[in-house]
Amino acid sequence: MSEKKEKTVHGVIAEYTSVDTLMAACRRVRDAGYEKTDAFTPFPVHGIDKALGIKPTILPWIVLGAGLTGTATAMAMQIWMNAIDYPYIISGKPFISLPAFMPVAFELTVLFSSFGAFFGMWALNGLPKFSNPVFTDPRFDRVTDDRFFLYIDSKDEQFQRADVEKILGDTETDYVQTVVEDESSDKVPKPFFMMWGLVAGLSIIPLLVVLKMRVSHSSQPRFHVFYDMDFSPAKEAQQYSTLFRDGRAMRPDVAGTVARGEMQADVDFMTGIDMSALTAIDQPRAERLVRRFNPLYQSDAPPAQEAKSEAGTQAGKSDDGDGPQDAKVDVADEDASENKPVQPAAEPSAAEPSAAEPSAAEPSAAEPSAAEPSAAEPSDGEPSDGEPSIMDTTPWLDKNPLVLDEKTLANGRKNFGIYCSVCHGMSGYGNGLVNERARKIVAQTWVQPSSLHQDTLYADKYPDGKLFSTISNGVRKMAGYSGQIKTRDRWAIVAYVRALQLSQNASIDQIDEAQREGILKEQADAKKVLKEKAAAEAAKTKAAEAAKDAA
Amino acid sequence: MSEHSAPALKSADDPAFMLPASLAALRLPLCVGGLFVMLLGWWLASGVGSDDLSEVEAAHIGANFGMSVYLTAAVYCMTIVLGSLFFVLIQHLVRAGWSIVVRRIAELVMVMVIPMGILFIPIIGSLWMGDGTLYRWDNAQYAAEHGFPEAVWTEKIRWLNQEWFTARTVGYFAVWTMLALFFFKNSVRQDQTGEKAITDKMQYWSGPAVMLFAATTTFAAFDWVMSLAPMWFSTMFGVYLFAGSILGAHCLLAVASYVLQKTGAMRDEVTVEHYHDLGKLIFGFVFFWTYISFSQYLLIWYGNIPEETEWFYVRQVGTWGGVALALIFFHWMLPFVGTMSRHVRRKPGLVCAWGAYLLVMHYVDVYFMIMPSVEEGSAGGLVGVIASILCVVGMASLLTGLVLGLAQQNKVVAVRDPRLGESIAFENI
Repeated sequence: MSEKKEKTVHGVIAEYTSVDTLMAACRRVRDAGYEKTDAFTPFPVHGIDKALGIKPTILPWIVLGAGLTGTATAMAMQIWMNAIDYPYIISGKPFISLPAFMPVAFELTVLFSSFGAFFGMWALNGLPKFSNPVFTDPRFDRVTDDRFFLYIDSKDEQFQRADVEKILGDTETDYVQTVVEDESSDKVPKPFFMMWGLVAGLSIIPLLVVLKMRVSHSSQPRFHVFYDMDFSPAKEAQQYSTLFRDGRAMRPDVAGTVARGEMQADVDFMTGIDMSALTAIDQPRAERLVRRFNPLYQSDAPPAQEAKSEAGTQAGKSDDGDGPQDAKVDVADEDASENKPVQPAAEPSAAEPSAAEPSAAEPSAAEPSAAEPSAAEPSDGEPSDGEPSIMDTTPWLDKNPLVLDEKTLANGRKNFGIYCSVCHGMSGYGNGLVNERARKIVAQTWVQPSSLHQDTLYADKYPDGKLFSTISNGVRKMAGYSGQIKTRDRWAIVAYVRALQLSQNASIDQIDEAQREGILKEQADAKKVLKEKAAAEAAKTKAAEAAKDAA
Repeated sequence: MSEHSAPALKSADDPAFMLPASLAALRLPLCVGGLFVMLLGWWLASGVGSDDLSEVEAAHIGANFGMSVYLTAAVYCMTIVLGSLFFVLIQHLVRAGWSIVVRRIAELVMVMVIPMGILFIPIIGSLWMGDGTLYRWDNAQYAAEHGFPEAVWTEKIRWLNQEWFTARTVGYFAVWTMLALFFFKNSVRQDQTGEKAITDKMQYWSGPAVMLFAATTTFAAFDWVMSLAPMWFSTMFGVYLFAGSILGAHCLLAVASYVLQKTGAMRDEVTVEHYHDLGKLIFGFVFFWTYISFSQYLLIWYGNIPEETEWFYVRQVGTWGGVALALIFFHWMLPFVGTMSRHVRRKPGLVCAWGAYLLVMHYVDVYFMIMPSVEEGSAGGLVGVIASILCVVGMASLLTGLVLGLAQQNKVVAVRDPRLGESIAFENI
């Protein structure tokens, strides 16, 4: 019954034995107005697209579009990576450096163009196509060898089977045949399924291995897939290197140079000291500071005395490279303590909680440093108990040199949170986590960090510059942070500390009228909640006691 | 529409293969006029000198400027002649069929290497007569005045001295003349005999010829152009000059074919397909030039070593910076986009126009290589620019006149090449 059934006709095909007969037939079919046609040849034939009337392809436009997309992708990717997401100076070039981006842009343009050409060709040709009805014709096999075929598709608007067979029959061909539906089974052979199943099964194994590794322990050492990435020959901070004579892997700045972006010639900003005022009262010290902080400073001819005093200071002090030597106050430094001519009795008091008050600790701590230069610098005067501390005589900056805006304060809060809060606590009461822990384990040598909320530390008694200097160079057991926090960020911390102090002593009148109501409401709510909590607690205690009593 | 009909070859004596009379008549005016204009430009350029200098200094600067202008013109013409030589070599090397109808034009141009040898005499002469007139390394005080390290300079001078430089230049011209005459004479002999063996022989020798060519042009570029800045070096410089050279040759072929067809020669032989191919190659070599010149720049820019950046530094500031940008926009972007489309390449008039345009841009490129190395580093103002243009137009006209003379004695197409028919019937897919 099925044999009787008319098979679907896809088109008509004709066979030719030479290029010339095929071309003649092509032209004839084209002139007759057929458009859905195709020619099959064993090799490319020049001019056949013209003979068949095939319109120029739009592929070049696809390639152009893909190529431009490639250029844009490369540019966007590099600008995003190198200038926005992870700004990184490479070889001293700007973040957005066009010449450096060119090679990648070029390569991606070529890559995308190739993809555009390759996959665009697929799309335009309807590939991938695993079967074509013309394959049903057994004679069609010779198209890869020595025969040429011309095909007219039934989807053509003027397709009439009889007409088409006639027009093809009129050309120089011995073979005209209708192309019918391929009726062989389109079922995928079973072995394919078995193979796919096997591949799928095998591909799960690595995943299973990884999953098992994630949840199990092993006594074997770690397996290094990329050994040279796990053990990079690059040195890390503080590591030793045999390459340089001094053995340091991290290189200090070359003498007389400043790293890019680190140029900071404003000594006031670097030290927190009003340098013009300091020059008036203590010129040698001012010059030492300038020489230390301003890389551009060049003394015409440093007097021998200054050089000597520098040497004396260097010898007497720790070799910490950061911070002004004169202001360096560090009673915990053993070496420095040994060199001190006068050992004040204030030291034990540092261990007492009351020593948190800087005013108590500082004069004693600062005295040796004031006395020290005097060993080499007789002009500084004899050390005497009555002489005020250098911390008090220094003309500190009263005003934070940063613009105090929201950004600065946010930056200050961030850095305070990172560096200060671990000891001083988030709100600055000297109750940070480290302190809590030290108290818990009753650490003998622990010095209670200062609470920042005491009037000796307010701006009127403790100028911003002094606070900056303390952050930079440390005080008592607190180490200086100039090596870890950038100058600008240290000033931001100063600003934030001031804000913290203000927050604990502010009156409602200092708030904007517009915001006042909201804050009052918040305050009332908070109080209410606290009250309720306290009441609940009390009730609970009472109930517990009552239960106890009852028991 | 005759896709595969066998082409009907005309007889070898057909007037379509002869130089049209209208062009032949230009021979003498072009030669004489060109020589005059060239000398006028050179003379004008030699007069360029700053007013606030002493007479001796001004004369020195003028001579230096004049020689530089002359060298620019000579190098420009030389690159196109060498490009044509390379075109012939590479067509034989790859056994190209499409190009046979235009190959004779390149063959005629490549023989100009002989007059170029004569035109180079003043350049060599400047070494022997003067003292650092053109090439500053020729001056004994040069290194000391610029504080070059003694050890480096001693080594440089072993390569850059007038005797060895002259010997090398003579050597280059000897090699090129030999190559040009070998390929020209054989091709012309084939016009008479039509032997296939001649084609085979030329193909056989094209391999060694290309190697000789590559070595000589690279070193010629180092000697003639790169040594203007004697402390500077770039291993890519030879390829850089060659990139412009091969581009110029293809442009010249497009222009010459178009002019010959307009005046009546080879009308049926050179078809739109050949312009299409020339257009493709012009497009490709525009990008090749960009690729090479940018690669040279990128490495030097990235490395940022003073001894390497010197050359680009002077070319990146002031007026020369503008010329550098102009090269990017008008030697690359504009022709790159302009010759990208198949429709443009299949219009002979447009291909010829782009060819002519790029021949001008190639001069700007050569100018950019040579002129910033002039002692004063200036273009000599308006007079300097006009003098440069006169000089190069004069020299190019002189050579064109000579090419026309040679063409008149021979055919403008390789009439009995065994594959002429294949070339005429050639079609792009």
